[in-house]
Amino acid sequence: MTWHLFFDISTMAHRHLLAAYATVLIVQAGYLGWIAWNWFRTKDRRY
Amino acid sequence: MEQRTPTLRNVAWLWFGIAIAVLVVGFRQAIFLTPADAAQGDIGRVFYYHVPIAMLSLLFPYINFAASLAYLFWRNRDPLKALTADALALASAEVAVVYSSICLVTGMIWGRVAWNIWWTWDARLTSMLILWLLYVSYLMLRRFSSTGQSQTLAAVLGIFAAVDVPIVYMSIRWWRTQHPAPVFGGGANSGMDKSMLPAFFWNLAGWALWGVLILLFRFALERRRQLADQEAALQAIEASLEIPQ
Amino acid sequence: MTYLRHVLDHLRKDLRLEWRSRDSINGMLFFALLVVVIFGLAFDPTSYPTTTRQIAGGILWVALLFASITALNQTWTRELRNQVLEAQRMAPSPPSALFLGKVIANMLFVLAVEAVLAPVFIVFFNLHVLGNVWLLALILPFGTWALVVNGTFFAALGLRARNRELLLPLLLLPISLPALLAMVQATTGVLTAELDLIQINTWIKQLAGYDIIFTTIGILLFETVLNAE
Repeated sequence: MTWHLFFDISTMAHRHLLAAYATVLIVQAGYLGWIAWNWFRTKDRRY
Repeated sequence: MEQRTPTLRNVAWLWFGIAIAVLVVGFRQAIFLTPADAAQGDIGRVFYYHVPIAMLSLLFPYINFAASLAYLFWRNRDPLKALTADALALASAEVAVVYSSICLVTGMIWGRVAWNIWWTWDARLTSMLILWLLYVSYLMLRRFSSTGQSQTLAAVLGIFAAVDVPIVYMSIRWWRTQHPAPVFGGGANSGMDKSMLPAFFWNLAGWALWGVLILLFRFALERRRQLADQEAALQAIEASLEIPQ
Repeated sequence: MTYLRHVLDHLRKDLRLEWRSRDSINGMLFFALLVVVIFGLAFDPTSYPTTTRQIAGGILWVALLFASITALNQTWTRELRNQVLEAQRMAPSPPSALFLGKVIANMLFVLAVEAVLAPVFIVFFNLHVLGNVWLLALILPFGTWALVVNGTFFAALGLRARNRELLLPLLLLPISLPALLAMVQATTGVLTAELDLIQINTWIKQLAGYDIIFTTIGILLFETVLNAE
């Protein structure tokens, strides 16, 4: 994958850039996952 | 909607797909295609996530505001509509917290590289922190208050919070400023370089689509939970009626 | 050994109850965070690093003190519901086991809050610790125990009092002053590296002494408080 070559883990800037992007993706995906998990746990009462 | 048609579900999946697609394009633009910022270098790419999400995090509190007002308006007039408004208020408060948390954390990570400090008490950061605190306190109120009152109390707090946000912003703006001047609509040197605009706009669109998606998903979840509660309450009442007096 | 078993039973009960709602920990955490933010607004920590280092110790302990008071206020209320307190009085286990179990549980909660608060504190105040950070790992638990042991005891003291929530800080703060002095001096000494190791050790020994004395007094007197109708 291209990103492997692009992110240079030895530089502080790149480490922090990766951390920032990872944080965003993890938080957003985590929240969506939490909603989805609860969605399947709550019974649908309309039928 | 009384009948669940597959349409709504299909629209939701389609929206999800589009949001993901736009975000992927945005990611590609931000990381691979846009040239690095002349002054900051690669760490400037954090802005393509940080700024759109910060802008969007100012939107959800106002949805909460409108929903809280709607709840209080309908509370005694049409309880069912009020319940819907309340679900929207809760969903938008949660999404506001998620977006502002991301804004704060990515900002701190960027600041660590660009300014060599994790935090500073300047206008923008402090007002964003206070926004975060306000909506976390909203969620805490929801959790701690007793079930009958929590919706009304939360709606009132939501109104306070939304009115407070611009006041906080303005008061702190006159107090101190270190944050980079507003990129859009700021002073003489503001405005983004043209080469950066695509990355910015793709990410803005992507995170806006995503924000609407999770808002409505959370709203639907809350509605489902409310209906489940109503069913349970109804069953409890019916069960008690069956007991011979 | 049975005494220890009783203490562990009480501890497990409190931990389980708290885990189910996590009210106390969340409340404490948010409150401590708010205190840190307010102090951050009041002084400008990032512009004056030297001054910040000198007052950060005090601010940290004030934040923890007020946060633990909010949690300690309701540490006994769950015993009031459903006449649990009466049941505790009639139970064959020694009352001090109940006290110790609660103290240890509260200690764990406040330590959990500290674990989250410390990095937040460092971030918001841009703290660079000049002294030996590992000393803080010694000072924080001793100091926390001092606050928690007295706090739990006085919270029980005010159980039947009229203005219970107001009474706790009024009772707790004066008694805790020696411990607070030691905690703050030791923490500031580590942060600013103005005190040498021997002086910091003296403060830590004073804290430890305070802890031992008041834990003993609490254990001995708890039965009186529990049955003080």
